[in-house]
This record gives sequence, C-alpha cells and structure tokens, in this order.
Amino acid sequence: MLRFGKPAIRAAAMLILAALLSGCWDTKDINHRVLPVVMGLSKVDGNYNMFLQIPEPTSDDSKMRIVSDSGETVSDIVDKISMNLESQIDLLHLKVLLIDRKYAEEGINDSITSFIRAQDISPKTMVVICDEPLDRFFDAMSKPDNQESTTLVHFFEKNAGWNPQVAQTRIWQMFRSIHSYTNDTMVPIIRSDDSTVIQSRGSAIIRNGRMVDRITPDDTLMINIFNGHSAQGKIEVMDHANVEIVSNAISHKSRVAGNQTFLECHVRLKVTILETKGEPSVAQVKWELEDLLRKRSEALLAKLQKRKADIVAFGQHFRTKIPRDQLAKWRTDYFPYTDINLQFQVIVQNEGNLKMRKH
Amino acid sequence: MDKTLQTVSLYLLSHMGLIFFLYPTDIIESVNIGHWLPILTGFAIHLAVIAMYMKGMSYFPRMDLVDGLRTAGNAVAIVLLLPVAAYLVMICVITIRAYSEVVTIVFLSSTPLWAIMALLLSISTYVAMLGIEAIFRTALLLFVLFIPLTVFILSYAFQNVDWLYALPVMDTHTATFAFVQERSFLLSLFAFSGGFLFLGFVQPHFRYKSRSILWSSLILLPLFLLSVYLPVLTFGQNTAEKFQFPFIMTVDTISIDWLMFDRISMFFLLSMITFVILFLATVMWKLIRIIRFKWNAKPAVLIPALSVALFVTCMNIPDWKHVSDLLWWNTFFRIYVMVIIPAATIVIGVRYRKRRV
Repeated sequence: MLRFGKPAIRAAAMLILAALLSGCWDTKDINHRVLPVVMGLSKVDGNYNMFLQIPEPTSDDSKMRIVSDSGETVSDIVDKISMNLESQIDLLHLKVLLIDRKYAEEGINDSITSFIRAQDISPKTMVVICDEPLDRFFDAMSKPDNQESTTLVHFFEKNAGWNPQVAQTRIWQMFRSIHSYTNDTMVPIIRSDDSTVIQSRGSAIIRNGRMVDRITPDDTLMINIFNGHSAQGKIEVMDHANVEIVSNAISHKSRVAGNQTFLECHVRLKVTILETKGEPSVAQVKWELEDLLRKRSEALLAKLQKRKADIVAFGQHFRTKIPRDQLAKWRTDYFPYTDINLQFQVIVQNEGNLKMRKH
Repeated sequence: MDKTLQTVSLYLLSHMGLIFFLYPTDIIESVNIGHWLPILTGFAIHLAVIAMYMKGMSYFPRMDLVDGLRTAGNAVAIVLLLPVAAYLVMICVITIRAYSEVVTIVFLSSTPLWAIMALLLSISTYVAMLGIEAIFRTALLLFVLFIPLTVFILSYAFQNVDWLYALPVMDTHTATFAFVQERSFLLSLFAFSGGFLFLGFVQPHFRYKSRSILWSSLILLPLFLLSVYLPVLTFGQNTAEKFQFPFIMTVDTISIDWLMFDRISMFFLLSMITFVILFLATVMWKLIRIIRFKWNAKPAVLIPALSVALFVTCMNIPDWKHVSDLLWWNTFFRIYVMVIIPAATIVIGVRYRKRRV
C-alpha cells in the first residue's frame, strides 16, 4: 500500500479536499436569494408578463411581496427582475405556475417546453389557469388579510387543501399531453374570491398544450373518478341525498371492428351517505346516483369527443389494438367516433349513524 | 483470501453507476415498442461475455489478465492489450466528461466544468493510488451506505406509472432484431461492457467465486429493465424520447408528502456519482496495471500523471456532441473487449494448461 509524505502533509491535503466538499460555486447565501413560490404568466401581443409571489419571512409571521415585469422570454424577465431586486431570484422552489386564461387558449407549449428544459424549475410544479386578469388576481392576493403566502400552494396539495372537485396537474403532465398520442390532461381554473381568497372555477380541457374548453367542478370530479382519484368526493343525488365516495374501481374493455372503436367502461363506486332529505330508501339513492352519474358522464364524454381531447386517457386501452402509426391519429380519427358504453355500479357501503329504509 | 462479497459489490456498483444515465436514452431511441427485447439481448450478451471471461481466467490460477496473456508470449500480449488500454483511456475520458456534464445539466448549473471534473478525478485518483484493497473496501462501504437509499427511490419511482404504456408488448419491427445494427443499441452496450474487465485483474490479490458473480448479475437485470421502463411507463415512449436523461426526469416527478426534502432526485444522483467515482478508480487502476506491464514506474508517480493527462484531454472536449461522437468511436473497442478478450483468455488458457500438463 502507498503512503504519502508526513502526517502534516496528509492532514493539509485532507483539509484542501474538505474545501471541495461543499460543491458550491459562486455561492449566494440563502439571505441573498429570493425563492418565489408562485409565478403568474400571461402573454399580450407576443410579450410575456410575469408576476412572482415571493414569501418574505419576518420574525413573527410570513409576509409576501409581489413583483412583476414584462419581456420577450421567460428567462429574460426573470433576469430583469433579478437585476432590479437586491437579491438573486432562484426558481428552485417554485410551486405553482399560474397562467392567464387567454394565454392558455392560445397554447402554452413553448413555455412548458422551456420550463422542462430549464434546470432550476421542478417538473413537479403545479399548473393552474387564472380566470381573471393576473394583475387583479395578485392585487387580491396581496390584500393585508390574505397575506398568508402559501395559500395558493396549499390549495392544490393533496395533504392540505386539495379536494377531488379540483384538478391537479403538474408541468411534466402538461408536457406529456403535448407529446403523447393518447394522454391529454385538465388544468384547474381559479379566480380570487372575497371570502375564501381562492375560488375554484372548474377545469380547463387541455389538448396538446392548448386550452380548448372548460368543465365544471362536478365534471372534474367525474374525470377524477375515471382516473381513480375520487376518494372523499361528494355528490349530491337529485334532491334526496348527499353521498361521499369512499373508493372506486374502474375496468375497461376495448374492441375494434374495422375503423370503429368500442369501449366498455365499468365503474364501481363505494359510497357512504352523508345527508338525506325526506325519507329516501337506500335502493332509491343507489338507483338515482347510478342514473345521475351515467347522464353526467355521457354529456361530459360527448363534450370531450367533440373537442377531440382525451383527458380520460381512453386511448391507452387501444394501444394493442391500433398500430402505432395509426394511434398517432387517435385524437382526431378514432376518439371522437368511439362508441363508449358506460356502466355504473354503486355500492352503499354504510348509511352513517342512522338507519335507513332498504327498499 | 476469498473476497466474493467485495467483488460482487464492486461489480454491482460499477454497473449501477453506468445504467441510469445514458443507457435508458439509448434504448428508448433504439426501439419504439418492446424495449425489453433490446435490454434482454444486451444482458444475454453481457452474461455470455462475463461467463466466458471468468472461465478463461480460471485457466490462469493466481494470475491476472496481463500475466495470463503473457504466457502466450510478450508480442501477443502487447497486441491484445493495446486496444484494451486504448479502450480504458477512452472510457475514463468519456465517463469524466459525460458525468460532469450530467452534473451541470441536472443541478450545478453555475459551477464550471473543470471544477466538477477535478473533483471526480481527484477522488478517483486517490482511491486508485491506494490500490485494489482500498477500492474493495470502498465498494463495500458505498454499498451499505447508498443501496438502501437507491432501493427506496426506485420503489417510489413507480408513483406515476401508467402500466398501459408497456403495451403492446412486441411489434413486428422489434421482433426482427433490426435494432441490433442501430447506432443507439450499439451505444447502449456501454453499460454492459464498462465494468466487467476488473474481474480478470484481481486474482493475484484475492479469490472470488465466479458462480456468485453470475448469480449477482441477475440483480442487475431488473435494474436495467427499471431504468428504461420507469420513464416509458411514466411518460410514454413519445415523451420519454424527448428527454436527455429520461430516468432522472422520472425521479424528478416523484413527490413524497411526508418527506422534508423536495427533490429526491438529488440523493439519487449523488449516490450514482459516488458509484461512478469508484468505477473510475477501478478503471484507472486497471490501466496502470497494463501500463506497468512494459514500463515499470511507481504507481505514486504514474497515477497522478495519468489523471493530469486525462484532465487535460477532458478540458479539450468542447461540447456534448463530441462526447457522444467519442462514445460512438469507442464502439469498435467495446466490441473488441467484449468478443476478442474473453475468447483470447480461453484459447490461451487452454493452451497454457496443456503445456503445463
């Protein structure tokens, strides 16, 4: 085995190596960085407008600051803001990307692609569409009583304020929707509200990175049922009862005959009863709920087929049945004409603390 | 001394360091459907190669590859070993350059390349100078430290998979094995050919059971499959082929609510980088062994000189395109190392045994 020099030299060499351990270069301390959590982005006449919401921790509570600027590209604006601020902007902890509705309707492919390309932005960042001009939204957010800087973040987090009537989409899913043959996505739409700070306004249907239509929160829940994310979702059944979804299971059977595609979709929901009006029987609630779900989802799927946006990823079930070069045209040539047969089966798991009539 | 455990750890770690970066990119590029076929093909080649190589080496008890080939005469040994040396040098250059680029692309965007390369090189130089015992000990240590973390991250990476993306299982194009002559498939052999040579270099120092190596290679198979299938199942073929490093992107999409760290891809990457450093140390150590065959200089002089030369070479590679070109030119040597060397050990080994008997 080799031995190097005297112990003193060895110790010195080790100390020099220790300096390398930090791995930092041009390091800026945390107090010289600002870490925005929300980025708002709109596009007017080819120019981007950007808003950044930056939390500013103070000794007793956290405040926030909103800065904005405009420019030709996203990184250009970040640079500009960074130049004008006393510290450096670091997008490492960006949590929500808020996109102006008009810009979303134009198509946000370029921004999504550059966010994926950029090293510092996490692909896990949520994408949200804002239903009012961004300046008004951020004005409302910066009112003194709304100063909690992480409201918007918590609104979408599964372990915080998220609920199944709200869509939850991340940048990488948007990117997948741009390139995948069979997987589109939906993006939540919000606006500011006087009483709850944020108001959910349903979801946008995104097709190839462009917003093509919008759906209500109830429809969003339907889509979440199809995608298996519906637990704790609440549904009002006619005017007889209110139920909560405990779990759901879904199975598909696909078939191709000639150019016609058929899909049989069987959804099984387990629910508990939360509230009743009058004295409905369990069987009645079950029957009404099945009927309601079928009607609602048929209307919803008709809308999706019309818009040629496969946000329920039905195309995935045809991967073995349609050759790959044809599958590329799934959205335009197959999905709108697919014969979809939906079956709902509701199981009332329990009725809560009170007994109910069975029939 | 029997050091099967250490040999197995070094064998697994040096391959793991190579699997998760360039390998998935190449496989995803080589076919659209049925990725398991190119993976299994590559793996079968790998198994055959290491089985042959270890069989060949078993004819030379307590001798390493250099001494073994020398039994057929110095001229033969030099002719056979020169391409191996060239191959090892190229592997060093490519690995250092490619991984420092990976580090800048993925997380240290403002750190200059030379600093990262210096870090990679200095640690592996140091380990290589301490010799094979130190490499083996480090392998065992790194195995204990980082494998649990890696397993944790790999199991969480299933979070966003859509199993339907694995379908269809096969198509007529892939089934014809047309991918075998694709550039990207040949490049993917990088992950299979990089780490096995050391199995023929440790015999004068330690013994190991070749059967255990063959069994442990079965642990690598799921890793090869995961490295390709996790990105494909998460993003779909069409999206996954857009990424420079699909596997790192997949790890980036994992979100764990209860963990206080936001980006667990960092942990994954750093464990892989330590494996790569160890791999580099092994390659440098092998290279020095081959160089000292003719030219008996002290390792304490030779290894630092080698690492300075490598550093200068790496500094002169301007961009990623040159790295991938270099990787492509290396294909010839790679095939040489995978075919000729194991075959040569068997041929020379059989003759050597006959002569002795």
